[in-house]
Amino acid sequence: MKKKTLFLQLALAASLLFSTVSYAAAPETSRDIPVGGSGQMEMIGTIEPTILSVTMPTFVPFNISNSLTTQNKVISPRIRMKNNSNIPVRVDVAYTKVDLSKLNHVEWSNTGTVNDNQIAIGLKQEETKDEMPTSLAQARWLKANVSQDMNVLILNANQEDALYVVGTLGQNVSDSGTFNVTPTFVVSRTSAAE
Amino acid sequence: MSKRKKQLLSAAGGTLIVALTVLICYLVFTKNEDLNLKYDDNATVGIMPGIDLDARRKELQDALDRSMIAYSINTSPVFLNGTSKGNLLIENPGNNAKLLRVSIKIDSTQEEIYSSEYLKPGTYIDSVALDKVLEKGTYDATAYFLAYDEADGEYIGETGAQITITVQN
Repeated sequence: MKKKTLFLQLALAASLLFSTVSYAAAPETSRDIPVGGSGQMEMIGTIEPTILSVTMPTFVPFNISNSLTTQNKVISPRIRMKNNSNIPVRVDVAYTKVDLSKLNHVEWSNTGTVNDNQIAIGLKQEETKDEMPTSLAQARWLKANVSQDMNVLILNANQEDALYVVGTLGQNVSDSGTFNVTPTFVVSRTSAAE
Repeated sequence: MSKRKKQLLSAAGGTLIVALTVLICYLVFTKNEDLNLKYDDNATVGIMPGIDLDARRKELQDALDRSMIAYSINTSPVFLNGTSKGNLLIENPGNNAKLLRVSIKIDSTQEEIYSSEYLKPGTYIDSVALDKVLEKGTYDATAYFLAYDEADGEYIGETGAQITITVQN
């Protein structure tokens, strides 16, 4: 009987010992702070990288013709741009490569005002959905073969908007022939969206 | 109906089908040979400009839509030093259906400091070392995304994203 009692006491002591050890091994982050007391809690912060994510065209085809009766002489597709990021972004035209070599005696205008032998091409933000602009008001004009950094659009987080190509040409510019205008769009993060 | 009549009708039906098949084949195969058409090399496929504005615009829209690309990049990649890898996080999403190549140039000098190989749709580069060793500092740069046709590798166009590169040591 004594032996049995001694055995039970030893077993109880062993279980108490191990439960104490396992309690001591519990993570410190879950310890109790007594009411009215104070404690320290470690907070680990990780800086997530800011990802810029957009959908935009790499090629913008358009037609220009004096036969259009509107002030804007360009037939343009809807240039859709979408900001898939959680930050606002701005879209700039950094550079526009212009090649008029296939057109005889035709020059480029950087300002939107043309003489009889000039062509001017610009971009305009969409005012009415799916409608090409008829006027040239508020157009941003592309400068040929020089760095420009011209803002054409600001997009809020997860916002989509669109641009159109607009332009005009002088009366001596032939309706036949092709020319290449290649703007490079550059997207950057911006702190303030309009 | 007698057995003989049935045989005669079946034979007549079969003969009619064969005759019709021969006639159709004759008409189809002899038509182009007889005409011997020569198509004008100067003709352009499409709707003539100025004829149908909406149709012309739709053609242009289709061409533009085919050139659309999506991409992602870290706006502020950090490199421990000039030779270590940094978290560029460049992605060519799976819905692009285009190959992408990335070229990063320092804005102030236009020096190319990184050029990737082609990225298939649905792939990304997590971290990578630059091709040029940069000194400690912060650099404004532009990452140009060049798009290529997935089928034949033909160049389509490019677009860019402004980033700030930090080299810590």
